[in-house]
Amino acid sequence: MSVLLHTLSAAPSSAAFKDCLKVLQPGDAAVLMGDGVYAAVPDTEACGALLATGAQLYVLDTHAQLTGVTCTAQGIGLVDMDGLVALSERYCRQMAWY
Amino acid sequence: MIYSLLVVSSPVSGLSSRSAAEFARCAIARGHRIHRVFFLDAGTTAGSNFSVFPQDEADPVRAWEQLHDQHGVELVLCVASALKYGMLDQTEAARYERAAASISPAFTVSGLGQLVDACATSDRLMTFGG
Repeated sequence: MSVLLHTLSAAPSSAAFKDCLKVLQPGDAAVLMGDGVYAAVPDTEACGALLATGAQLYVLDTHAQLTGVTCTAQGIGLVDMDGLVALSERYCRQMAWY
Repeated sequence: MIYSLLVVSSPVSGLSSRSAAEFARCAIARGHRIHRVFFLDAGTTAGSNFSVFPQDEADPVRAWEQLHDQHGVELVLCVASALKYGMLDQTEAARYERAAASISPAFTVSGLGQLVDACATSDRLMTFGG
């Protein structure tokens, strides 16, 4: 069941990022944006913690490119802005972490 | 669907404000309607009529103006935030005896009630911050 769409713009070192990890659950989707895209870097603590939540994970492609995150972990899909709109159609509520 | 957006970040800091405008364009292209964009805190600086951007940079204020002009998107600056950031329309400039309005005519200044109304009216509220 689709529950919450999280947009995670906070850096992995931030309190907001850690708080988001506490509430992410299977059925949720999370889109990494802004400084949040660094959590898509493979084999990092933040990436491992995100994957362990069981949520559907995505990274916004333009933000990943702008920040130089060209290699993203398996299990984290690339999504463009059109894809983010499509996710917002599926999930009726959003939580923005920044 | 009917969407409204809440933008809380400055267009010159981070990617969120620009991303919000791009989200609005994509949503419209997918057949949705953007009812209102409400700008809060530093997000209100998106309405500045005095910002000047280098020629090789996209103008974020113009991006919002185009959404207003081409698609009738309502752009509302939170009055409490706008005053603190010097974002004044004609009425507020006259009220506080400032020389001129500082916001683009595409934007209006209003209260938080407009955000509450947008939540009640829209199928989706998307927040952009950071």
